[in-house]
Amino acid sequence: MKVTVKLIGPLIYEGGFSEKVLELAGPMTAGELSAFVRIDRKRPTIITRNGRAVGDDERINDGDRVVISHIYSGG
Amino acid sequence: MKGWTGYILRVNLTDKTWKKESFTEEFAQKWVGGRGFAAKILFDELKPGIDPLGPENKLVVALGPIAGIPAPNTGKVVVAAKSPLTGFYGDGNLGSNVSSQLRKAGYDAMIIEGAADKPTYLNIEDDKVEFLDAAEMWGKGTYFSNEYIYKKHGKNSGVLNIGQAGENKVLFAVIRSLEGRAGGRPGIGAVMGSKMLKAIVVKGTKQIPQADPELMRKLGIEGLKKAHELDQASGWSKQSTDAVLAWCNEVNGLPVQNMRHTAHPEAWKLDGERLNDARIATYGCPSCTMHCGITIHDKEGRESELDYENIGMLGPNINVFDLKQVGSLNYLCDDYGLDTISAGAVLGFYGDAIERGATKGDFKFGDAEKGKTLLWDIATRTGEAGNLLADGALKAAKVYGKNSADYAMQVKGLEMAAYNCKSIPGQALAFGVAAIGGHHREAWIITFELKHSKRESYGPEKAAKVIELQRIRGGLFEMLVACRFPWVEVGYELENYPKFFNAATGLDWTLDNFWTAADRGYAMIKLHYLREFPAATRKDDYPPAVWFDKANADTEGPQKGVVLEHDKYDSLLQHYYDQRGYDHRGIPTMETLKKLGLEAEAAEAAKVASLS
Repeated sequence: MKVTVKLIGPLIYEGGFSEKVLELAGPMTAGELSAFVRIDRKRPTIITRNGRAVGDDERINDGDRVVISHIYSGG
Repeated sequence: MKGWTGYILRVNLTDKTWKKESFTEEFAQKWVGGRGFAAKILFDELKPGIDPLGPENKLVVALGPIAGIPAPNTGKVVVAAKSPLTGFYGDGNLGSNVSSQLRKAGYDAMIIEGAADKPTYLNIEDDKVEFLDAAEMWGKGTYFSNEYIYKKHGKNSGVLNIGQAGENKVLFAVIRSLEGRAGGRPGIGAVMGSKMLKAIVVKGTKQIPQADPELMRKLGIEGLKKAHELDQASGWSKQSTDAVLAWCNEVNGLPVQNMRHTAHPEAWKLDGERLNDARIATYGCPSCTMHCGITIHDKEGRESELDYENIGMLGPNINVFDLKQVGSLNYLCDDYGLDTISAGAVLGFYGDAIERGATKGDFKFGDAEKGKTLLWDIATRTGEAGNLLADGALKAAKVYGKNSADYAMQVKGLEMAAYNCKSIPGQALAFGVAAIGGHHREAWIITFELKHSKRESYGPEKAAKVIELQRIRGGLFEMLVACRFPWVEVGYELENYPKFFNAATGLDWTLDNFWTAADRGYAMIKLHYLREFPAATRKDDYPPAVWFDKANADTEGPQKGVVLEHDKYDSLLQHYYDQRGYDHRGIPTMETLKKLGLEAEAAEAAKVASLS
């Protein structure tokens, strides 16, 4: 299963990449994917799948674009 | 009284006099400082209906009881006046050494009234005030003025100054301080210019009175260390506020082409990664723990300090996707003393009005070079377009007609910041009910909407969140006159601020005391509005019509076809009014005003308008 993962802001430096296509061995949830790309589980994040916010338990599907971001507050 | 100096400096530019006036502890505790002081002073001292650009308007510079004391991000100052852009109370805050210097000079606020008969600048040193000739600075930009002042008065002086935009009474002219810092979006710089006041320079040598200086020092130093550590641990400063650009682009909240679109394939060229890569320096305000001003070389090789709002509005909002060109547009705004958010919104509106046939002109979206020329024309009110656009998007729309006000992206005349909310109802409400017009600083709830509510919800939880944040951001931080970033961006605990306040004042406040003071401040500003606009209606709290227009919906992507729904927005607005204790017009009821101790102010407002 292929998914595109985009990290935002400081997560880029934590995960070590900005955007890449990942080949996943099997099904994963959004939270599991976040941990898989080495984002600290304690860090509050917001995850979107194909432009819509999802919870950590949301199942990721083949071809999805997943964006994981630090929680911003509008400056 | 401890914490506050207990004095206000009143300066009259017409007759070149000044006096030191005391205020009571009751006044101090009721209004706290900053926005609270300014809103109360201007309500008491300005008659409704005055010309905001006439000598009868007053400029207030206000600080709070922890301003200027070393503690997380306390180096800020509030500037306020009757706004020439919106026609009622307007304010803004900016980082400046004025914060510490004015307090050391012995004042918590300054009221500047009248108007000089020639370009003047004020030099305040403790108990001395000089009215100095500003002829050599008049007509020059803020970078020149800053250097001029530093040479004459030293680099540690507190400085507030204006550029050509303020001199020429551009209605969205700001006041500038250090390089890269600006405040007073609703034309407070134009008020300063109308008084022929080019700059204010402040130096003080006294001790800032504190109830427990040892405790304050301990808490302040610990706080500075902790807030800095939190920033470093989070990595926030790597991209500063501009990290949100990429996110807005992903979730369809980016302002593109005068907010017609919500995302753009070239947005990545302006994102936080690119900004961080181009960084040549980083600047912050005095006492700052998390410098947000990432500086790059602009197209012409000058240093330009950028953040998300100015990139968003001078970049995608006018379809410019070259970071160096955005830097150039930003540099010119800073030098001329134009508000970058309004400048981007006005250029976007102009491009849109041309495309839609409401007016004629040779500016096209994406034309950064023409944008640069237009910024000069606006700052100097040169030519028909420059002179008209200098009055802001809404006033220009009223001249253009042809329903162009529908896409003038403002609320109450103040252009909105860089969040495109046609499919984000809660943030649209936050713009609609911001105290001074379409500002983002008081409540920003987009991540809350997406993560903890539902994007499409118009439920009471969103109104509650807007109020919660207004109390914190527009209340506590604007009254204490401290930067909200350590709390809002990296999680420095809010509970620290009552501790600072109590160490400085000797009082025993909790956050609840601040929420009451904040609600009082918001109600006070609403009374300003009612007094200036007795026929106020709830429609005044609506965002622009284009956000409700199906023809303006996204044509692709997850928000395809989605715009704000009129009836649902109105019900969300009602949730806000109900929770606030406001009437159907969005004006505090008598019961609410009494609860907040505003009976006298209510009686004053009732002379010109009805209260429920």
